[in-house]
Amino acid sequence: MVDMLFTAVTMLIMIPVALFAGILYVFLFRKLSARFQWRVGPVVSMYKDLAPLLGASRILQPLYDILKLFGKDTPVPDISRKTIFIASPYLAFICAFLAIFFIPFPGVPLLSTMEESLVIASYLLIGAVMFTILGAASSGSPWGAIGARRDIEIFLIYELGFVVALFSVGLVAGSLSLWEIATRPGLPMLILNPFAAVLLFLVIIGKLAIKPLDMAEAEAEIVAGPFTEYGGKYLGLFQLAKAFLFYDMVALFIALFLAPTLNSILWLPVYIIAVVVILFFITVMQVLHPRFQIAKAMSWYGRWVLVFGVLTAMMVLVLRFYWVV
Amino acid sequence: MGIMDKARIYSPWLYHLHCGGCNGCDIETLAALDPRWDPERFGIQLVASPRHADILIATGCVPKQFIPMVKRVYEQVPEPKVVVAIGGCACGGSLFYNEDPDNYAILGSPDLLIPVDVYVPGCAPKPEAIINGIVQGILKLAAKKKAAAPTQKS
Amino acid sequence: MAHYSSPMTLNYPSSVDPNKKYSAIPEGLRGVPERDEEKCIGCEACARVCTGMATKIFDNESEAKRLVQIFLFRCTFCQHCVDECPTEALKMSKKFEVATGSRDDPANYVDTTLDLLRCANCGHTFYPKKYVDKANELLLQKINPLVKDVVVADFKKVQDYCPSCRRAFAYKYDTHTKKHVWLEGP
Repeated sequence: MVDMLFTAVTMLIMIPVALFAGILYVFLFRKLSARFQWRVGPVVSMYKDLAPLLGASRILQPLYDILKLFGKDTPVPDISRKTIFIASPYLAFICAFLAIFFIPFPGVPLLSTMEESLVIASYLLIGAVMFTILGAASSGSPWGAIGARRDIEIFLIYELGFVVALFSVGLVAGSLSLWEIATRPGLPMLILNPFAAVLLFLVIIGKLAIKPLDMAEAEAEIVAGPFTEYGGKYLGLFQLAKAFLFYDMVALFIALFLAPTLNSILWLPVYIIAVVVILFFITVMQVLHPRFQIAKAMSWYGRWVLVFGVLTAMMVLVLRFYWVV
Repeated sequence: MGIMDKARIYSPWLYHLHCGGCNGCDIETLAALDPRWDPERFGIQLVASPRHADILIATGCVPKQFIPMVKRVYEQVPEPKVVVAIGGCACGGSLFYNEDPDNYAILGSPDLLIPVDVYVPGCAPKPEAIINGIVQGILKLAAKKKAAAPTQKS
Repeated sequence: MAHYSSPMTLNYPSSVDPNKKYSAIPEGLRGVPERDEEKCIGCEACARVCTGMATKIFDNESEAKRLVQIFLFRCTFCQHCVDECPTEALKMSKKFEVATGSRDDPANYVDTTLDLLRCANCGHTFYPKKYVDKANELLLQKINPLVKDVVVADFKKVQDYCPSCRRAFAYKYDTHTKKHVWLEGP
């Protein structure tokens, strides 16, 4: 009973923590990209003479973007299939939002003690992208159709890698519960099976539409792709889903591969350093790559995912049968 | 000033509509969005779809074939919105100004079709002048409210 | 291996660091044209040569005033008016932050008002006073000294009349071109 109460209370506290964590991760991503591009990015402390008008700091810039979108008029095209068009942003948001409860935070298990929390988290993270594709396809515009088609093609490749990476860790740890994976004693999976870590990193690049794999939402090439016809609060929901997805993917990476760091809340500084390092690598991928064509992406990406998938599987066999961990 | 009104000042998104003309103002507008003047410091972003935008930047003088497109893109921008006309051609026609309504090619500046809130004269205006105009547009945006109708069909 | 350099971004629109506010403002930057009211003679040269049809002349008959107006919305800042002005009254300033909210904002217009002369015969306004004075001055500098007295005397007879009335009075006041004077001397 106390268990359930504790879980409920921590789930309630986790909602704003995950929101602000997601917002800060997106901010850090934008700020680092800007510094790579020799410019400033959203200012952390505003210039003194502009501060009364423009605010003191823009650390919460992605949150202001989302709030502004909720305050705008919402256009709904007549040629779209309205039920699916309107339901998709809500469903995508709900999937990304519920996934935060199944991924543990340092010292706080939330719902990840459930036996199948790995499977549930992976389904929810797949759903967050599926509903974006569904919304794009239902919007009735050619840009949405092209965006949806490219999104599905990339989705096929990274979901394969996603499943291999997740279940490779689950097999070695002997459990599908994220809390047990995350609090495993012994060496972290990053050292035991680095191929799975690289594979999951490549999947993160695909899932969060980081260059070179952002051809689905190719800005200006296909006029905003899947999100062309969305405006106002539906676009706000998609942006919110993206912020939560950022938090989810980074937290999942740390839960799977940096196992001992989620034992207790005292590991929080290490967690934060790990977050910054992962975001740094994601930003490096974004700023150093151009956007690939979908055909090239499928061949290039498919090749890397296949190679690392096979290496991961071989490593799992080695770890499971020859080297008792 | 509520958080929603503040969010409108802190995050204005631009959509650039080229209505006709020589592209000089387009190049200066894109120069105003590059790392040298970095408007992303203040949350200003260039978006790809007019449905995502708050500020519509109109450059150039409208030819008669482009009239339905200008009106359609203006209607696709959701309320509250602000239009900034950049360059001499977008303000008053400049070289392309004519008082003859039977001219087969040119209509004139976009403010004959859509209501313009800020004018930035120049040929082409310096990027500093463009950012000055955008900041005036942001201040006008803060004073506007959402439209009365809940959704907009198009 | 690349190293980190501080950003190249200018601080515009903040003025915390004046050196980093504007990009380089070159010597010949063409900003808003400014007219010196003392030197302008209202000769319409700038209106005729204006590229964007921004400079226009408005004559007010009842008040006998000429308004020379540059509408900045149509100005292309090409400097043709500066080059053509006979008295060098125009100059391009370095002002380039000229965004305004509406067409009727007075900051959009560069105005100069001049007094017009009124014809003593028909009552219509014709040239600005300063234009006629300047024309006289230029004429007296360049005229053949042999015919100077005749021309000056003729002009004094008709200087208060507009060009159409002058033509009407040419034989009355004997001010038509006296060819024999120009050919043979007074």
